[in-house]
Amino acid sequence: MCSMDRQQEFVLRTVEERDIRFIRLWFTDVLGVLKSVAVAPAELEQAFAEGIGFDGSSIEGLTRVYEADMIAKPDPTTFQVLPWRGERHGTARMFCDILTPDGEPSLADSRNVLKRALAKASDKGFTFYTHPEVEFYLFEQLASPDAPLVPVDRGGYFDHLARGSTHDFRRAAITMLESMGISVEFSHHEAGPGQNEIDLRYADALTTADNLMTFRTVVKEVALEQGVFATFMPKPLTEEPGSGMHTHLSLFEGDRNAFHEPGAQFELSKTARQFIAGLLVHAAEITAITNQYVNSYKRLWGGSEAPSYVCWGHNNRSALVRVPMYKPGKGNSSRVEYRALDSATNPYLAFAVLLAAGLKGIEEGYELPEATDDDVWELTDAERRALGIAPLPQSLDEAIALMERSELVAETLGEHVFRYVLKNKKQEWATYRQQVTPFELQRFLQFL
Amino acid sequence: MGATTTSGADELPRPPRAAGRRETVTRRLLRAGFADLTRSAQLWADPALEAVLPTGPGPDDETSAADDLLAALGGTADPDLALLQLVRLASTPAAAGALADVLAHDGVPRARLLAVLGASSALGDEVVRRPELLAVLRDGDGGVGVAPERVRAELLAAVGADPDAPDPVAGTEPGRWPDAEARTATDALRRAYRARLLRIAATDLTTDEPLGLLPAVAAALADLAAAALEAALAVARSQHLDHAQVRLAVIGMGKTGGRELNYVSDVDVVYVAEPGVDADGQEVAEAHAMAVGARLASTLQKVCAGASAEPALWQVDAALRPEGKHGPLVRTLSSHLAYYDRWAATWEFQALLKARPVAGDPELGRAYRAAVDPLVWKAVSRENFVEDAQAMRRRVEEHVPPAEADRQIKLGRGGLRDVEFTVQLLQLVHGRMDPGIRSPNTLRALTALASAGFVGRDHAGRMAVCYRFLRALEHRVQLYRLRRTHLLPTGEEDLRRLARSLGMRAEGAEGLTERWKATRREVRSLHEAVFYRPLLPATAQLSEAEVSLAPEAARHRFAAIGYRDPDGAMRHVLALTEGTSRRAALQRQLLPVLLGWFAEGADPDAGLLAFRRLSEELGSTHWYLKLLRDSGSAAQNLAQVLSSSRYLADALARSPESVQWLADPTGLEPRGAERLDAEADAILTRADDPATAAVLLRALRRRELARTGAAELLRLLDPVSAAAAVSDAADVVLHGGLRVAEHVARGELGLDQDPQANPTRMLVVAMGRLGGREMGYGSDADVMFVHEPVAGADGQLANRFALTVATRLREMLGAVGPEPSLPVDADLRPEGRQGPLARTLASYAEYYERWSSVWEAQALLRARPVATSPGADGLAERFTATVDPRRYPAGGLAAGDVREVRRIKARVESERLPRGVEPARHLKLGPGGVSDVEWTVQLLQLQHAHTVPGLRTTGTVAALDAAEDAGLVGPVDAQHLREAWVLASRLRSAVVLWSGRTTGSHADVLPHDRQALAGIARLMGDVGGGADLEELYLRTARRARAVVDRVFYEAG
Repeated sequence: MCSMDRQQEFVLRTVEERDIRFIRLWFTDVLGVLKSVAVAPAELEQAFAEGIGFDGSSIEGLTRVYEADMIAKPDPTTFQVLPWRGERHGTARMFCDILTPDGEPSLADSRNVLKRALAKASDKGFTFYTHPEVEFYLFEQLASPDAPLVPVDRGGYFDHLARGSTHDFRRAAITMLESMGISVEFSHHEAGPGQNEIDLRYADALTTADNLMTFRTVVKEVALEQGVFATFMPKPLTEEPGSGMHTHLSLFEGDRNAFHEPGAQFELSKTARQFIAGLLVHAAEITAITNQYVNSYKRLWGGSEAPSYVCWGHNNRSALVRVPMYKPGKGNSSRVEYRALDSATNPYLAFAVLLAAGLKGIEEGYELPEATDDDVWELTDAERRALGIAPLPQSLDEAIALMERSELVAETLGEHVFRYVLKNKKQEWATYRQQVTPFELQRFLQFL
Repeated sequence: MGATTTSGADELPRPPRAAGRRETVTRRLLRAGFADLTRSAQLWADPALEAVLPTGPGPDDETSAADDLLAALGGTADPDLALLQLVRLASTPAAAGALADVLAHDGVPRARLLAVLGASSALGDEVVRRPELLAVLRDGDGGVGVAPERVRAELLAAVGADPDAPDPVAGTEPGRWPDAEARTATDALRRAYRARLLRIAATDLTTDEPLGLLPAVAAALADLAAAALEAALAVARSQHLDHAQVRLAVIGMGKTGGRELNYVSDVDVVYVAEPGVDADGQEVAEAHAMAVGARLASTLQKVCAGASAEPALWQVDAALRPEGKHGPLVRTLSSHLAYYDRWAATWEFQALLKARPVAGDPELGRAYRAAVDPLVWKAVSRENFVEDAQAMRRRVEEHVPPAEADRQIKLGRGGLRDVEFTVQLLQLVHGRMDPGIRSPNTLRALTALASAGFVGRDHAGRMAVCYRFLRALEHRVQLYRLRRTHLLPTGEEDLRRLARSLGMRAEGAEGLTERWKATRREVRSLHEAVFYRPLLPATAQLSEAEVSLAPEAARHRFAAIGYRDPDGAMRHVLALTEGTSRRAALQRQLLPVLLGWFAEGADPDAGLLAFRRLSEELGSTHWYLKLLRDSGSAAQNLAQVLSSSRYLADALARSPESVQWLADPTGLEPRGAERLDAEADAILTRADDPATAAVLLRALRRRELARTGAAELLRLLDPVSAAAAVSDAADVVLHGGLRVAEHVARGELGLDQDPQANPTRMLVVAMGRLGGREMGYGSDADVMFVHEPVAGADGQLANRFALTVATRLREMLGAVGPEPSLPVDADLRPEGRQGPLARTLASYAEYYERWSSVWEAQALLRARPVATSPGADGLAERFTATVDPRRYPAGGLAAGDVREVRRIKARVESERLPRGVEPARHLKLGPGGVSDVEWTVQLLQLQHAHTVPGLRTTGTVAALDAAEDAGLVGPVDAQHLREAWVLASRLRSAVVLWSGRTTGSHADVLPHDRQALAGIARLMGDVGGGADLEELYLRTARRARAVVDRVFYEAG
């Protein structure tokens, strides 16, 4: 297509002009791990025309048994020169759609799962926007896998490093992200030592998901350059807060924010109320997607501000869904914040199920329960029961069981991805359950 | 006709001048063509009219000038209406003077006035309301062939805007525009619009060649609409003083874009906008500019269609914009392009073909057209173009409410939309290579397609005539009341007026209806001729006027309709049409249509190839040619079968005479067990030796499988009945085979050939799917052999005889041979393969008494006696009585047995699935597959059949229904199980029909191959595309498995 052609031409020209020697074709496996196939500039034209074949059998959840041959088709609008391979000859990347050898979208491509969900929303006239706040930890490089974790900014430890400080880290990361067209807002907060938060700018969900994948890579890359390492693990330190990814969600109808209704309670439209209701009704069954690792549940049930209970509130930081304070006159900024997500989620799948849950609420006209003003952590179990506030799943095992019965998740992911995720997560749980943990040794070894 | 009686005619008042020897008024009205004579006579005598009528003699001495006028009125489409309106006009004081002037002379102005009054009551009313409009009819200025710029200037001037300004702005108060009657600019615009509309209609209605003038009229209407949009934009600018902050272009789509508009129609547009400059000359921010643009556009729409003192023009419909009604009203050019890049569907590119800048910023409009143009001409290379185009065509054909079906001018098969679609599809297919055929105008495009050799000149010409006729008809229907309608009226008077307004005075209402119907039929046949006939080689064309596509163009067209190997298709077409045989001659006629039908099947290439083979095989067989020629449905069915199923294509090639079934409405009905038995009986009586007999029996079964398959594929037979028919054929073959095997055994054992001399009586018991009458096209026959020695027979001999019969029967039906085999599997017998092949009934009874295990009881649930030796009276019943207590155990199953069934099932699941097959895709043994459902149902049968009689059946669905009725499974669970079982069974059949292979590991697996999936989906017909089918099966099976987990395993 024409403008596609122009985009493609732009890419080809840039590759030529900037003497780029490799182009990395990026895509995401079903677990949300970034994969990459490198091609030379000479192969690029063919990649645009037909895609690049690769053996998908090594990629988690990507292929069916008989479909080892997959095709990665780059999306030229996502072309970026990678700043960190900053030698004379650069490297660039593009995100890809994964196709079957017949040129159909692969049912197993998580990017395609989100695209399908967005297309469904678009049939109803909605565009879905997301705005994530990503938390992560910076640690000193590990000497060995068993060595204790040392956060970079405890006790000035970082000063000993030849170059850099957390300040330098942030400056380098921002520079790199901005050179890749991702504008961010950094904050270092003291909640956990070495813990940082970065807010990605508000964009349509597909762009945001692509940006998140880039973002994670950039942060890891910059950390390496600075001689430290970054982790998006949901809960690396027992005693410190976990790394969540609170995400603001909104729906637009054309250029109008569909969540906003002047004069309504919290300025929330009926659409917004039904969307929130959808999130709440389906929160438990989508948790295996939004919080996909055994470790995720250590964060969810680790206290402090973690959203363990299914309820919503206006500016209530203990609720699962928070409606932020409304800024008068900013109708287009109406949004809801989903607080369960953690930084290790597969953003494509997570955004897809969140959107599906919200849309279901709109389709079925779910009633929104009363908002909760209390700090739900302070309530007793009986009080929560009385208020009709249910907990999120307590473990990956429980989350899997709930998801397995979910038509919503099956439909959103497609049967293939659905089955794959279930299988993979069951395996993870089984392996995890086999472990004898330090906790057990400490408590039982001598005692029993 | 509704004419009054003549008995009272003399009593009618007479106009004074009609005295003398002259004819009565009634007579003259009648001769002139009036219908309601009483009323018209009264009107003719109306004093107001009298005052304006011309006096003196007419053109010839015989008649007066008034008589001449009466005759002229009679020449209009509806003389009664024309006269009525004339009287109303005459009664309007402001009109009388000018009216008398017009009527005084038999000239163009009078003709224009009368034609309008007689054809359009709405425009007549308008003239009565605004008598100054008479000037429009008098000035002799025609309404068509006027330069668009003049029309634009006229309407801009009418709202007080400067036509020469780059961004014309309307005046805001009366006095700023010329029309003193108009109180707002909106009204001024609407009044000027109506005046010009009247001008166009007058020219249109006074031509002798309405079809010839049609393109010019449609263009004039489109130009008028464009001018109105421009003027409406000027009005909008006058209401939004910040209008310079956006550059806005209005793009005409649909008929507006094609410059072929109707009298009354929604005007389709899209808006494209770019930031303009603010008061300081600075470029404004995009978001702000878009907001200004959206305000301008929505005001523009209000000016055209909102409430005001003057009637609205038409709805401005911007629904074709990106994201349709949900999308923002205006977008930047790059936002348009980004959308088309990522989201747009094929039909949207087809719509873009018509895009033409009509108002607003001309430079931006041109940039838009230039930018979308390449998108349109590349649409044909989109991934799903073929499927999309087929879906779009189905929409064209289907979207007619039944009540309107025989009145629709626009929609449905043979309607205007059909012509437009055909032309546009051809443009999309060939426009990439040939810029000369890219006109957005239907008639121009058709001419260009013909001159470039993409369609036959003759066909293009005829199609153009059809189009012009339908459009002219539509125009006349709309003109009457200026309503947006595309329906032919039903009233006799309405039809008469239409006929007369189209110059079909002599043909009348009936002739008009007839021509309309004939035109629709012709459009249909022209679609085939225009689209498919040029695919035939030049040597195969029927006349000089036809064309053959150049190889490159033919390749494109074949590919665009779904042929994967266009070169192969061209070779087949050449082979089918060359030569002078009657067959070739007939195929030259028929092939264009067949090519279209093949293209609707799952595998057009295979269909065409199979047709070629069949055709070569049958050569000039008399009935074959006749069938193709005379029976439309047979040829269509044949095309569908050949292009959807390799299994059936092979079967038809093996017994070409089966093609005849397709022509006979009863040919595809299952023959039924009784008729087949009689036929088998006749075969066996005729056959000289056992080998021949066996071949003939197997041929009979092959024939019935083909019949059933064709009926199922053509959806004349539901899946359950099809399975029963396939099972019937197996029953008959087993029955006949038993007779032959006994004959052979008697010979081998040196016994008398009289069947009564058999030492024992045989019974063949069907088991498994055959027992349940649920066989597929590739199923084996599971059986058990039972015998009962005749009284006093030698037990040894009886056993030897029974064993020989069983062995020979299996050989006869299972051995490799010229006809498809029916493998006979007896592994379900007691002790399995270790046990004797045949046992006496007593031995069965003893075995089941002493040794039987629960899996054997389960297998017996499907036991159904199918064939017995002559003289074996009551054996089947005695067998049934023996096994009933096993399979329907009193008191149900012991807990240990239930556990055992579950354990066996669990083991089967883990061991029987072939390696390398993804379990979820295994239709038989995978989770939620056939076996899951059957085991669940069978466990319920074992547990409850002793109390629930309905469960005592060999059929899975019947047993499931009974279990549901008895409350043993909930309705939702039962539904999930039933859906999964039926879908998996259908899929197993469909896999065989599609692939043509009945054996092999693939037969029970949902294919991975996309093409196979798509083909199977299409063959099944009601399950969407290939990906949908895959998703549907996985989902259905997942749900069923959840039920199996709960009901069968009692887990979770």
